[in-house]
Amino acid sequence: MTTRDLVLIALFAALIVALGTIPAIPVGALPVPITPQSLGAMLAGLILGPVRGGLAVALVVLLVVLGLPVLSGGRGGFGVVVGPTGGFLLGWLLGAAVTGWIVRRFAPGPWGWRETALAALACVAGGIGAVYALGIPWLAAVTGMGLSRAALGSAVFIPGDLVKVVVAVLVARGVRRAYPMDLR
Amino acid sequence: MTPSLYRPGTTRLHRAPAGLKLAALCAAGIALVLTGSLPVLAAAALAGAGLVRATGVPLRALRGHAAGLAWVTGLVVLATALLDGPDQAVAAGLRILALVLPALAVTLTTRATDLLDALERALSPLERRGWIRADRVGLAVALVLRFVPEIAGQAAALREAQAARGVRTGPVTLIVPLIVRTLVRADAVAEAIDARGYPPGKDERPR
Repeated sequence: MTTRDLVLIALFAALIVALGTIPAIPVGALPVPITPQSLGAMLAGLILGPVRGGLAVALVVLLVVLGLPVLSGGRGGFGVVVGPTGGFLLGWLLGAAVTGWIVRRFAPGPWGWRETALAALACVAGGIGAVYALGIPWLAAVTGMGLSRAALGSAVFIPGDLVKVVVAVLVARGVRRAYPMDLR
Repeated sequence: MTPSLYRPGTTRLHRAPAGLKLAALCAAGIALVLTGSLPVLAAAALAGAGLVRATGVPLRALRGHAAGLAWVTGLVVLATALLDGPDQAVAAGLRILALVLPALAVTLTTRATDLLDALERALSPLERRGWIRADRVGLAVALVLRFVPEIAGQAAALREAQAARGVRTGPVTLIVPLIVRTLVRADAVAEAIDARGYPPGKDERPR
């Protein structure tokens, strides 16, 4: 890993933390404003690639464990990791890696319509699929509710996540045009 | 952003080694997920509350934590009560409290640097195999702490600039320039770090 990789990982982690401190942004006519922090995992994968993106999210998780208030609303500490939503936090990590891997494998070049669609699919697989794959069993284990119930309860957040997929892909497209970078 | 959730103090919990606290927390967490017995869960939740009291942190300072915890716990208890009945709901609520309260006590009484040291020790087998480099993790953590206020300030400045030009700020128009600036910044920072020869690598010692 070069120094540049290390700095990119650290600065992207800082960006994810910073996104948690800015006020929520309203999206069009939707009633629910999105908190940009949860975009971070998808963006890290789309822009940095699987390894660096995954490590950037891992760094955020490390800071949470260390007790720094890096999550939106100033949350942090070991309690977040062991609590009912801890699996989603670890799911971000896996999600960034999965998103990055799919994009690097199938849409590494300039983004036409096909690549943009693939990037959106990568976000759905990583940012939603992988995140819920860890988050739901964790929620079920911590609360003692069954898997199907935990899945049902989490499904409420999927429409919001789909909005985030669209935003993440549009952002990544813009960033790629302005600052093309190899995915790693 | 306040620098840390740590609250200085001199209680036993403050003085206990960070590694021991982390190990106890992990063991308790696994045990709690495996048990479903109400008395055990209730006792564990009470013990957790006792631990938080034992940190000596005034209750008023814990309001923020309490609000977040109450929100999540309430939501889960309500959902479980509707789907599974009251017994399950009580068990779920107690389990969350029993998991989160001791973790909160550890967070309140342990310096971030001590936790980082404990984690470094726990990860040292990986370091010996060359999978990770502890000094690089330390540098990365320091960089994040240094650049969070910087990037948050930049986001605020971008918003103001766009508002002044009459651009309606949406997520895309705000985050794209923010990320591009961050990536450009990363190049400059990496050059500065390399120019200072830091961190010195095992294979790139000065000759």
